[in-house]
Amino acid sequence: MKNAKPSSRRNFLLTAGLGTAGVAAAVATATRGEKPRAAMPGATEGSGYRLSEHVQKYYKTTKV
Amino acid sequence: MARMKFICDAERCIECNGCVTACKSEHEVPWGVNRRRLVTVNDGVPGERSISVSCMHCSDAPCMAVCPVDCFYKTDEGIVLHDKDLCIGCGYCFYACPFGAPQFPQAGAFGLRGKMDKCTYCSGGPEENHSAEEFRKYGRNRLAEGKLPACAEMCSTKALLAGDAEVITKIYKTRVVTRGKGEEIWGWSMAYGGSDKLSDLPGGKA
Repeated sequence: MKNAKPSSRRNFLLTAGLGTAGVAAAVATATRGEKPRAAMPGATEGSGYRLSEHVQKYYKTTKV
Repeated sequence: MARMKFICDAERCIECNGCVTACKSEHEVPWGVNRRRLVTVNDGVPGERSISVSCMHCSDAPCMAVCPVDCFYKTDEGIVLHDKDLCIGCGYCFYACPFGAPQFPQAGAFGLRGKMDKCTYCSGGPEENHSAEEFRKYGRNRLAEGKLPACAEMCSTKALLAGDAEVITKIYKTRVVTRGKGEEIWGWSMAYGGSDKLSDLPGGKA
């Protein structure tokens, strides 16, 4: 009886600690694959320069 | 294959620093590192001129030649990039570059500099496109998104031109011809290709 109270307190602390670790792991997993900014729609193909509509519009603005 | 280049039209640059700000904002470049900056010649004197300077992605890049760990590489489009995982921060590239393009994030004791950082022509690095790792090390990859460098797109007077060398040299040459001066400069054809004759330009004067 004398040991019952400290034991439950230890269990509580253990449970709280495990819970915190679990939440931290979940957050880390979720943010690992996060991209800094979503790519523009329709602009995922190709890896380098291409004469996209955006680029053509830019060239047009330089001729003003 | 397109060859990517920058040209800064000094007649149009109004020294607004929009290109510098766009670059820093787009790539979240840390404090103390400037991938692009403005240089003013004859500052304060009537007729002063400003140009926007960054890595010019040289055809025969001296930084590539002097790097002891060979961390530089060139893409098919002529963009000079480097691998930060290989860089040892020796600073040789900084001494070799005529434009002062390589930047170092630290200035500590015993020559501590950190990994070199420079303009990537908004085309990321060797990491996977649009990955968090690529953004952290090299910034945003706009080229893979079908865009051009943020500095040039942001430029309000379109003084800073970026894109396929074939296209932007024609645009620049047209401007010079329209102004009626400058095109006669010796070496024009060597620098920008084509002929020195005005009549050879589409819509140019005979």
